[in-house]
Amino acid sequence: MRFKKSLLFLLCLALISEAYSGQIVFETTSRYHNIRVVDEMGVRFLSFDGSTETRMSLADSLKGHFEYTEYFHLVWLWNDKLTNVLMIGLGGGSAQRSFEHYYPKLKIETVELDPVVVNVAERFFYFKKGENQIVHIEDGRQYLRRTTNLYGAIIMDAYHSGRYGSFVPYHLTTKEFFEIALSKLTTNGVIAYNVIGTLGGFQSDVVASVYKTMKSVFPQVYLFPARESMNVVLIGTRSSIKATRESLRIKATNLLKNKTVSFPLLLQRVDAFVPVPPAGWEQYPILTDDYAPVDGLLRPFER
Amino acid sequence: MKIYLLTGFVSFFSGFAIMVLEIIGARFLARDFGSTFYVWISQIGVVMIALGAGYYIGGWIADKIPRVSFLGVLLVIVGVITFLIPNISTPIIEYIVQRHPIDKPIPEIWQRLDPVIGSALVFLLPCLVLAMVSPFMIKILSRDIKNIGKISGFIIAGSTLGGIVGVFASGFLLIDIMRISSIFKVVGMLVVVLGLFCQLKCLKTSEK
Repeated sequence: MRFKKSLLFLLCLALISEAYSGQIVFETTSRYHNIRVVDEMGVRFLSFDGSTETRMSLADSLKGHFEYTEYFHLVWLWNDKLTNVLMIGLGGGSAQRSFEHYYPKLKIETVELDPVVVNVAERFFYFKKGENQIVHIEDGRQYLRRTTNLYGAIIMDAYHSGRYGSFVPYHLTTKEFFEIALSKLTTNGVIAYNVIGTLGGFQSDVVASVYKTMKSVFPQVYLFPARESMNVVLIGTRSSIKATRESLRIKATNLLKNKTVSFPLLLQRVDAFVPVPPAGWEQYPILTDDYAPVDGLLRPFER
Repeated sequence: MKIYLLTGFVSFFSGFAIMVLEIIGARFLARDFGSTFYVWISQIGVVMIALGAGYYIGGWIADKIPRVSFLGVLLVIVGVITFLIPNISTPIIEYIVQRHPIDKPIPEIWQRLDPVIGSALVFLLPCLVLAMVSPFMIKILSRDIKNIGKISGFIIAGSTLGGIVGVFASGFLLIDIMRISSIFKVVGMLVVVLGLFCQLKCLKTSEK
């Protein structure tokens, strides 16, 4: 009897651990990363060098993604006549697929450094290139610098990642980068920038430094910390008019009402708005091409 | 004994300067060429070319013009060039990047070779002259021909040790506490000091 019970217990344990370990669907090593596609309990994961980049529900490819990617929809609040958007960083294409679904007329261009990532997104994450879904294989900053296109919004979601954490590539954090970005935005242009970290906790020094750096280039910068993960989406605008939570809520309500934006959670995402700058942000350095110690997590300034 | 100390010192800091230029140089190139894999490949490849050529040419010159003061002059020149890297390299790299027709993707071959060209134009000469230090130092010590194995081992180990310190100091410390332009300026000054050091009497008298 006891033997049977323990056998059953072991069987359960084996099943659980099997479910937890997930099933590797695909694995390859590109120039930049060890890329893995893993299916686990109905969710597909994309990981680079052991850190998860993208989540996607296998039942519905528009679900299961990281919550922070939803904050990118907020760019509409400042630019309701958006016709095109540039995204830096593809990964599993959560933002690209979501934007294509909700705004079918929008022209989406993506700059991705690693050609293998594009293949993986196409094969395993329902990402499809097309007339309104264009991919450039290039470094984000180099592309921006050379292009003559102007964009209504630039969405930046690129980082180096590994087992020890994720870092935004240093040349995409500097004042010079934001100046290039600003010069490629239309009059009402907006940049949405994902930083891994929190306000006041994990990597808060990086968040504060990027905030200060963006503030030195863009007239207004807004903070949207994600609720479910350690991400802060910073939004910088060319417009110098200062928005408040109330004005953003009204704008969002109108956008939903006149069906410019069909993304249903827009109002909830507006509510994450934090109207005060990161604590002690003045003490952090403006990051420049000449000085951007983002890999050392800006440790000298933690004291 | 003193001469061992002096030649070891010069070798150590030449190795140190080469590796700081290599590591910080990769960071420096990333702003224009992107943080692509090819920037690292270029930087490592170009420094290896500089080392190979510098060892060979340095050895040849050490036999033809066995005056350490000549090496000193070359070091002062490349020290000044290194000091000026932040100022003079911008238009060079700008030209390499902007020569491609705008709005068209850069051809795959140039995505690979542009950083090689950029790295070579900026870093090849300083690293090449710094690599010439080792054979020169071996030449100075080689009066003692029966110990030539030990001597060359000592000099090569000294410059390699300097290189090791240079790599870790650059990546773990300098990049976090100094501006990139200041690092080039400090390394430039260090190389000028090495060049002046080569004019020291004790190094010269030991030449014959």
